[in-house]
Amino acid sequence: MADKMKENPENLPLLGRKLLWLDNKNHVRKLIFGLYVTCALLFLADFFYKKKTYLDLEDIPGFYAVYGFGMCVIFVLCARALRSIVARDVTYYGSKDVQAEEYPEEGLSRETLND
Amino acid sequence: MIDVFPPAFFFFIAAAIIPFLPQGIFRTLVLLFAPLVAGLYIFDLSHGVSSQIELAGLSLELMRVDKLSVVFGLIFCLASFLGNLYALHVRDSVQQIAALAYVGSAVGAVFAGDLVTLFLYWEGAAITSVFLIWARRTQGAYHSGMRYLIMQIASGVILLGGTVLLYRETGSIAFEAMTLSSFPTWLIFIAFGIKCAFPLLHNWVQDAYPAATVTGTVILSSFTTKLAVYALARGFPGTEILIYIGATMTLFPIFYAVIENDLRRVLAYSLNNQLGFMVVGVGVGTELALNGTAAHAVSHILYKSLLFMSVGAVLFRTGTAKATQLGGLYKSMPLTMIFCVIGCASISAFPFFSGFVTKSLILSGAAKEGYYVVWGILLFASACAFHYSGIKIPYFAFFSHDSGLRPKEAPTHMLWAMGITAALCIGVGVFPSVLYSLLPYEISYNAYSTTHVITQLQLLFFSALAFTVLLRAGIYPPMLKAVNLDFDWTYRKLLPTIFGSSASYVTRLWSAITLFGMAKIDRVISGLYRSHGPEGRMARVWPTGAMVLWIAIILTATMIVNFI
Repeated sequence: MADKMKENPENLPLLGRKLLWLDNKNHVRKLIFGLYVTCALLFLADFFYKKKTYLDLEDIPGFYAVYGFGMCVIFVLCARALRSIVARDVTYYGSKDVQAEEYPEEGLSRETLND
Repeated sequence: MIDVFPPAFFFFIAAAIIPFLPQGIFRTLVLLFAPLVAGLYIFDLSHGVSSQIELAGLSLELMRVDKLSVVFGLIFCLASFLGNLYALHVRDSVQQIAALAYVGSAVGAVFAGDLVTLFLYWEGAAITSVFLIWARRTQGAYHSGMRYLIMQIASGVILLGGTVLLYRETGSIAFEAMTLSSFPTWLIFIAFGIKCAFPLLHNWVQDAYPAATVTGTVILSSFTTKLAVYALARGFPGTEILIYIGATMTLFPIFYAVIENDLRRVLAYSLNNQLGFMVVGVGVGTELALNGTAAHAVSHILYKSLLFMSVGAVLFRTGTAKATQLGGLYKSMPLTMIFCVIGCASISAFPFFSGFVTKSLILSGAAKEGYYVVWGILLFASACAFHYSGIKIPYFAFFSHDSGLRPKEAPTHMLWAMGITAALCIGVGVFPSVLYSLLPYEISYNAYSTTHVITQLQLLFFSALAFTVLLRAGIYPPMLKAVNLDFDWTYRKLLPTIFGSSASYVTRLWSAITLFGMAKIDRVISGLYRSHGPEGRMARVWPTGAMVLWIAIILTATMIVNFI
């Protein structure tokens, strides 16, 4: 179905067609490069203004940047470790459990662009 | 006498007339106008008024109007309006009535001036809200709803117990600031804690909210927990233990959020984390921190509704909210995607979005009072919030790998609900003074200082950098279809297993005891049978002739003795 839609982008809403710009890997690469540059600039920004802080720790240039990055990495590594302990099969609590069941169709309105 | 009409009754009256109206325009009008009228009415109430009635010798204060109750009352009405607008396609009377009665209970509770009135509305909110879960009408939802109801009713019963004991101790049922100095106040504290999803009492949120209907979750997410935050802010401001409870709440749900596959469950974990910020604010208890709690509750209700709405719209169109089955939806649902991103920017506290101007009040409040470790934890939770909620939700739902799904954009009324909520999220972020003017205390806080803007941007962009680096390096945990065991495992598996196996041990022990006892009794009976039975020595049959002979002998002997 995905291929079919790629052939007919005119089926997409106008905004969706504009956003197809993101479909291009090169454009995504540009966005990521933009993120790197923004991060570098934000890091350097610390040298150009006087911080108003509560703690001495905050006065270290780039404290928030390093804290944000470091903590997120630690966070994800811990979460990975947690998963190895707590993850079970979807039917662990039974095949009729709410986590194992599908959402009932009568509460949905599945409409696709092909309709 | 009721001097001031309680705004909760607007909702109750609306809920009562809904069943008599045909589905369609009339119901739509009632569903949309009831919260609007109630909101305008609350906005117009003069502060300081109270309304009392006498009931069974108790003086119940149905209405206590001050800035704290008004700000919560207003946001509840607004959330109800947006939730009902989002749910306009629903033709299920049960959900329509439950949504109105539930909000009515929540609004009633924030104006309650005494603990008995609070209890009545507290239980009302519990009972009415469960129908939004049961309305899914599946076995799984029924069981989740039951677990939810047990927790909510337990909270109410504990609140009632605390109230009764407190009344016996002090002779008062007034709902004022309390200290944790006696058993009754502890009971009330725990009752609030259950509804506020304190650590280890929290699983009902993640269990029940994703089990509700598409629209039910949006409505549920706004009221119960924020009512508990209000109750804590009213009853226990400045209680230090809340700071540590709140800090724990900001921390541990986030690890689950990052590995969870169901995006509505991710949002439920994230809701838990955001409640932690508010609880810390209550614990710090200064004017700045309490303002922070009230302000963050307002912006939280808005962005959390928006996020549940956008993920709900995806579920409504695709039949799933699981990250493993979604992806690439930005092409066909671009507006929903943009609204979702606005919700994410707000929860992550990007400048010019609501979270930025409210969360920082709580962080500043904590830092000003010298709680540096707690401040560090909150900062960590803020950075990670962007990670697991701000990036994860839109990334896996709308971008990531192309799932091939091309659902239509969400229905118009859903887009309107999301659009208005998104506009409010930005409005609060750009013009924080409007929200600040509604807060309980005077406030002079500039959220847009150079330091705050730049440090917050650093935190967020480097968090995004970490996400990008980890994802590209393949370290980011891929989404998996799995159940992640949380504390509810104890009462869903461990305790039933313990009870089940102890029951089987007791049964076996009982049958062993009975067998042993029966064997003993059998032996006694057969012993008696041997001695006294038909073949027994004691019951041997003697011939009649011998009997007659012996009687004749005894008779003769008697006669001889008599004649001699």
